[in-house]
Amino acid sequence: MVAFVTFALIVLFFTILVLIGKANELSEDLSGRGMNYDNKSKWNGYFLLAFIILFFISIVYQVKLLAPIMIPKSASYHGDETDRLFYVTLFFISIVFVLTQAALFYFGYRYNQGKNKVAYFYTHNNKLEVIWTVIPSIVLAVLVVMGMRTWFKIFDVEARDPNAMVVEVTAKQFQWMVRYPGVDGKFGKRIIDKEHITPTNELGINFDDPNSHDDFMADKLVFIKNKPVLVKLGAQDVIHSFYLPHFRVKMDCVPGIPTQFYFVPKYTTEEMREYLKTQPWWNTINPETGEPRWKTFKYELACTEVCGRSHYGMQKEVVVVKDSAEYMEWVRKQTPIYVAPTAAADSTAAPKADDKDKKVMSELVGGTKNKSLK
Amino acid sequence: MSAESTTIPADVHGHVDTDHIHGHEHHHEQSWLEKYVFCQDHKTIAKQFLITGIFWGIMGGMLSVLFRMQLGWPNETFPFLESFLGKWAEGGKISNEFYLAMVTMHGTILVFFVLTGGLSGTFANLLIPYQIGARDMASGFINMLSYWFFFSASVVLFTSFFIQTGPASGGWTAYPPLNGMRDIAINKGSGLGFDMWALAMSLFIVSSLTGGLNYVATVLNLRTKGMSMMRMPLTVWAFMFTAVLGILSFPALLAGVVLLEFDRLLDTSFYLNNIVVNGHLLDYKGGSPILFQHLFWFLGHPEVYIIILPAMGIVSEVLSIHSRKPIFGYRAMVVSIMAIVIISFLVWAHHMFVTGLNPNLAAVFVLFTLLIAVPSAIKVFNWIGTIWKGSLRLNPPMLFAMGFVSMFISGGLTGLMLGNSPIDIQLHDTYFVVAHFHIVMGVAAFFGMFAGVYHWFPRFFGRFMNDTLGYIHFYITLIGGYAIFFPMHFMTGLPRRYYTFANFETFNNFNFLTQFISIAAIVVFLAQLVFVVNFFYSIFKGRKVDVLRTEDGYTYGNPWDATTLEWTAPIERIHGNWPGEIPSVHRWPYDYSANGKPYTAQNVPLAPGEVEHK
Repeated sequence: MVAFVTFALIVLFFTILVLIGKANELSEDLSGRGMNYDNKSKWNGYFLLAFIILFFISIVYQVKLLAPIMIPKSASYHGDETDRLFYVTLFFISIVFVLTQAALFYFGYRYNQGKNKVAYFYTHNNKLEVIWTVIPSIVLAVLVVMGMRTWFKIFDVEARDPNAMVVEVTAKQFQWMVRYPGVDGKFGKRIIDKEHITPTNELGINFDDPNSHDDFMADKLVFIKNKPVLVKLGAQDVIHSFYLPHFRVKMDCVPGIPTQFYFVPKYTTEEMREYLKTQPWWNTINPETGEPRWKTFKYELACTEVCGRSHYGMQKEVVVVKDSAEYMEWVRKQTPIYVAPTAAADSTAAPKADDKDKKVMSELVGGTKNKSLK
Repeated sequence: MSAESTTIPADVHGHVDTDHIHGHEHHHEQSWLEKYVFCQDHKTIAKQFLITGIFWGIMGGMLSVLFRMQLGWPNETFPFLESFLGKWAEGGKISNEFYLAMVTMHGTILVFFVLTGGLSGTFANLLIPYQIGARDMASGFINMLSYWFFFSASVVLFTSFFIQTGPASGGWTAYPPLNGMRDIAINKGSGLGFDMWALAMSLFIVSSLTGGLNYVATVLNLRTKGMSMMRMPLTVWAFMFTAVLGILSFPALLAGVVLLEFDRLLDTSFYLNNIVVNGHLLDYKGGSPILFQHLFWFLGHPEVYIIILPAMGIVSEVLSIHSRKPIFGYRAMVVSIMAIVIISFLVWAHHMFVTGLNPNLAAVFVLFTLLIAVPSAIKVFNWIGTIWKGSLRLNPPMLFAMGFVSMFISGGLTGLMLGNSPIDIQLHDTYFVVAHFHIVMGVAAFFGMFAGVYHWFPRFFGRFMNDTLGYIHFYITLIGGYAIFFPMHFMTGLPRRYYTFANFETFNNFNFLTQFISIAAIVVFLAQLVFVVNFFYSIFKGRKVDVLRTEDGYTYGNPWDATTLEWTAPIERIHGNWPGEIPSVHRWPYDYSANGKPYTAQNVPLAPGEVEHK
């Protein structure tokens, strides 16, 4: 019944619209104004003028309302540069935006047929056209040069710190598997073959490699302030994308093709909270937690390449600690993936995981599942 | 529509013996099927494309309304959706799988079926023969095939909504491995749904290629006497180059999709390598998922110009006619179209900056991506130059053309951010991109299309669309279009294609905004229905075109006082377009307000002492 009434109302609404339209047309025809647009142009000239003024005002309003809610300032060094580039570009395009939009709609108002009866026959002006080809070209050249300098700085392999902390992140539907090298700072090798990759060892870690013995799977990403990080990325099933919004880091995780991203965290989680405390919007109460928003602020890892039904659920927390001491404290609390063979087993042979160990490993390698996922 | 009577033998194209026509000797009645269904007449084919496009437009729009409901009110249920969508919306809540399917189909439908098939198919078909002075397309039969391939593609795609595992759901870009393995455990839409998507796309590509070859052949070979290339209206230039782009780029996608089906059906490994599913290493070895992205975007980027160039052509023409002023810088406009076409082949990898592409390669693509802004900027400045000191007839086509320019500026400028790879790291695959491409190629292209429909409706049907409804449609769409997409720029950093943001603290701040956007989207969708109602109502009841003269039983009118040849043909749409000889051309198409006359049509010889504009 409700559906029927709604449908009837919609039909009625459109019928009325059509009737109004037709009535207008008939009255124009009767008064002999049929295809004369003088009057209509005049009205629409005012509308266009009103539109552009309101549009500009609304943009100012949107900036005031929405800018404070945006993802806060960059928490990495290279992010400062990409953000700066963003604002430099924004500066140039804002000028062009305002000038062209204002001209477009103002001309619409100023030269409408009701106001301006005779058009000015003017076909081209080579000088003008050269000017508005050359100026954009120069601005664009500047932007390209600035962009490329930043880009090559971010991806300059030679300038990287060889002692950077290395984290290995492997994505699968729909979770992140984060492997840390443990106390020794060295990863155990992985072997991609059917013997090593099993449901209990999805990454194919070679446990013959002693470096693997203290590797551990983490339920969050932990970085150290000012300590360069090299994230080594991979994917198991489909393409995912490793995205740290606060750090301006994004790189696809592609099955069969290793990728990586190198960056330096700038603020610890605590420092970021302290900064946000100074921002009015972050002091408002979050109705879900009942606390000011800055208090529950956290860095997060997200997936930005559509990877299937639960794409939206690939979340992981990211923490930046202040120094290596704090980091090592966390590392020591973690449980290695490797489970030492029992005393009866041959110590030189590869550790044979029994069923119980398999279970433990499987849970660890599988990472922690996001509970909200089906 | 009875006016579509046949007075010229159906097989006559190009050169027609005039005695023959006046003699009415070979008059042969077309059956209903020949006239309306398997018709080889460019005007009817144009209508077929347009009406199929409108169908898909409503469909694509409706999908966006549905997924906007999920995004705007992620915690609500809408019981009526269950009766409408069945198992895809159990308990009135759209499932996450169907959400992705809708997003995927929305993209596919609007990019290919509406803004390529519907836009290019309609206006290239209608205007190329009319404006260059040809009786019909170079091959009417292939032109007909082009529509019927499009129709079959539509049927296949539409059917895929009704199969058990649902339509393709791995994104309109169809990236493997998500779409590369026929495993519904990975993605439901990667089952039969994706095979149907691939079949539909293949048929669509055939349609696009047959259509495109025809357009190019027609423009190059069938121009009437005096119609040199530099006397062609910008619409024709745009359609021709659109067709060239399509011919050169669509085959890459076809190859890509065929190889993808090999992977899916024959277990080859073009795009797959070392896939691990549930801890089992699959047998695929040596392929590269990135290869598909190259093939896809080799079409995918020119594709956005395939969408926007016809709109640009239409807008150039409409702005000039309704400003009563020549297009500003005709030559620069032609050259910038050519420049866009060439550069558009060198920018595709800007969609792939964060795929692990070699950073050195990115530099090349940044350069060309920002370079393509130069011809685009020239066009914008020239459009504004065109309306400057004009006498603007602010009717719906003109307003939509101005709206196009506004949208093209707003959306185009943010391209300078996205095209610059370091900035793109943060913006890639976020709502900023959604805002950018929807404004610049979605809304803008629609504005171009609407400008074209309102403007050439009298050419299609001999009647006008209703102005009042047109104004309502325009203002709601302009304001609503900005209301939907402008605030999305502030959602920079929020990932696309998320079913809900509830799992993230970082992305959860914009709930009121997503709701606002959803409401705006619903309003704009309803405003498009005003257009649809206006369209079909006006076919039968619209105001008739004023008859300026009657000759040999044919009536002639020129509703917009335009110079181009389509208005020298009778209001009745006859097979062969002109009952007598095809008019010959003596001047460029933009003699508006020249020499103290409101306009001088292209077929009017130069007055003594008059110098032709070159």
